[in-house]
Amino acid sequence: MESPLVPYLPILAVLLLAGLMAMAIPALTTRLGPRSVNPIKSESFECGNPTLGTARQRFAVKFYVVALLFIVFDVEAVFLYPWAVNFRALGWFGYGTMLMFASTLVMGLVYIWKKGALEWES
Amino acid sequence: MNTPSFGLDDFLPVLPAAILTAGAILLLVSEVFLGSATRTYQALLAVVTSVAAGALAFSNAFLPAHAVLQGYAVLDPFSSFTTVVVCLGTGLGALLGAGFLKHRNAERGEFYALLLFAAAGMSLLAMSAEFITLFVNLEVLSVSTYALTAYLRRGPRPSEAGFKYFILGAFAAALLLYGAALLYGATGTTHLSEMAAGLGAAAKAQPALVACGFFLVGAGFAFKVAAVPFHMWTPDVYEGAPTPVTAVMSAGVKAAAFVALVRVFLFLGPVFDPEVVFVIFSALAAATMVVGNLLAIPQRNVKRMLAYSSVAHAGYLLSGVAALFAPATVAPKSGVLSASATWGADSALRGEALKGLLFYLLAYTVTSLGSFGVVGALERREDETKGNAWDLDRFSGLAQRRPFQAAAMAVFLLSLGGIPPTVGFMAKLLVFRAAVDAGLVGLAVLGVLSSAAGVYYYLRVVVYMYMRPAVEGMQTPERQWTTEFALAASALAVVGLGLLPGSVSDWLSRAGLIFGQ
Amino acid sequence: MIATSNYLILAAVLFCMGMLGVLIRRNALVVFMCIELMLNAANLTFLAFARERGDATGHISAFFIIAVAAAEAAVGLAIVISVFRARGTVNIEEIQTMKH
Repeated sequence: MESPLVPYLPILAVLLLAGLMAMAIPALTTRLGPRSVNPIKSESFECGNPTLGTARQRFAVKFYVVALLFIVFDVEAVFLYPWAVNFRALGWFGYGTMLMFASTLVMGLVYIWKKGALEWES
Repeated sequence: MNTPSFGLDDFLPVLPAAILTAGAILLLVSEVFLGSATRTYQALLAVVTSVAAGALAFSNAFLPAHAVLQGYAVLDPFSSFTTVVVCLGTGLGALLGAGFLKHRNAERGEFYALLLFAAAGMSLLAMSAEFITLFVNLEVLSVSTYALTAYLRRGPRPSEAGFKYFILGAFAAALLLYGAALLYGATGTTHLSEMAAGLGAAAKAQPALVACGFFLVGAGFAFKVAAVPFHMWTPDVYEGAPTPVTAVMSAGVKAAAFVALVRVFLFLGPVFDPEVVFVIFSALAAATMVVGNLLAIPQRNVKRMLAYSSVAHAGYLLSGVAALFAPATVAPKSGVLSASATWGADSALRGEALKGLLFYLLAYTVTSLGSFGVVGALERREDETKGNAWDLDRFSGLAQRRPFQAAAMAVFLLSLGGIPPTVGFMAKLLVFRAAVDAGLVGLAVLGVLSSAAGVYYYLRVVVYMYMRPAVEGMQTPERQWTTEFALAASALAVVGLGLLPGSVSDWLSRAGLIFGQ
Repeated sequence: MIATSNYLILAAVLFCMGMLGVLIRRNALVVFMCIELMLNAANLTFLAFARERGDATGHISAFFIIAVAAAEAAVGLAIVISVFRARGTVNIEEIQTMKH
């Protein structure tokens, strides 16, 4: 009995052929093509900036501080969504509660602001 | 959807925690707006806040036990008393911190703010009656304590201690949370009372799920109260943390964790299987008492010795917890395997055990704060990185150099060893009597024997203080009135409560101590 | 619809991976990530059960757990940074000075 997959055999052939070509063409160019590497050739061409230093350099600790503060304040916003969806149903009670929640967050923001954690230049 | 309606009564129990939080926020804001040179006012503000919160909690303690905030929390004398103890510990800890930090030029509002945030977490943890509330408050208290542990950034020790505490504390919290998730899956609720009602049927349907959840919750709590074999973090963290923080950790954090453990297991234990719970707590208590004392004996480092001694004290407290589930207290052959669970007719036994536990927490709070306070007062900034800042030699001849501090330390050490007429003796008496009444004679004997071994290493410090000449060139930092005041208050409490325990223990004997039983 | 048990098995596997990671890995940051993995496994368990029962409690729990985990992550990362500044390493075996 003929398998129902037989009509798809040409697709399999195409896939195999494509894979073979994808491997063969780069292999042939690296094997056969002439090679000359010089500094001018490896510069960025027509667009992009010339690279400065290595990509594995250390980042200033300032990035970590900003990232930490971002995570904390970003995630606290998760509580605003359920409240926003049920805003009418929760009424003034919900409004008051969220006001208290938000004002606590604002106090935290005031603290880190005055503390200088948001200043990039120090 | 209907809006929940809350009355003033619902917010009464959380008011102490609200005061503590407001004080903490005020301290944070004052730190950035009033950056004045002298910061003693911050310690005093922290003390005033904790006294106000403690006074309010004390007045709450006379209200009958009832559920509030739609069952997410309970107001009962049990939780209110814990809040009083926590506020006492926080106030004394702030005073000890003031002198300690002044000596190191590290006095900042953040320290006191974190202390108050931790205290708010402890107070709320003691009254939580729902797993998510419990988890959130446990984390409020833990995260503040992680930050406090790594507060002093000088030298490698504090950050090492903070890291260890963070990893193991977060690990314990994750175990507890996963256990809570499994129990939620089995019963469909996170409220302790509803969970207790549904657990019997759930355990028949899915015994493995319930057992896994139960043991994970238990392991999480065992980490938090530093019970053997989950105690490995204690000595390193207690040694590396700034000494006033260690004092608060050994007092308040432990008290709150114990109270939460008792509440969770009083609800769920009898329904699950009181015999299994009883055996587990007895084994934990025995191992913790023996191992804690044995490891403390060879220590020459006094701070580390006190850390191991706090492990041993967790063991004495656990024997009180085991008494709550003893066969005499719980009707035999109850639990999910047979009929519905019932507490035994003798609820007086349970009352005795709870009373012993609470009195022990109060006693250990004042004693441990005082002893760590003396250790901190003798510690010099210059010795911090050398690692011998807490050697026994630093205590030799202290009686001549600092008679007051030596006398206070002697009182605290006698109380830790359980020698009359101190509060430590009364506390041990109450806990071990409850254990004997509940039929745990073996455990009580083991407790008395191991605390007799403890007397050896406590008295060794006293011998060094009073009978050894001072080592040449042994300097001590200048005296701070805040530290001296906190030490005097603790010493007075240790002796006073030891001589006249009646007022507190009578108060603890009142009916309806804990909600739901 | 995917069966609840599949979610539960995934959560259990994640939890065990996290637990093993905390116990055997030596890099402080990896240990830290393993703890986050454990918390999120618990979160997934809550959500799987909540979906099966059609119950809001589990969904609400997830919000709180996410928020708490973020606060914990912030403090934890700050501590790891301070360890790195004091020691110049995040290898746990080298962060051992206090003797037993």
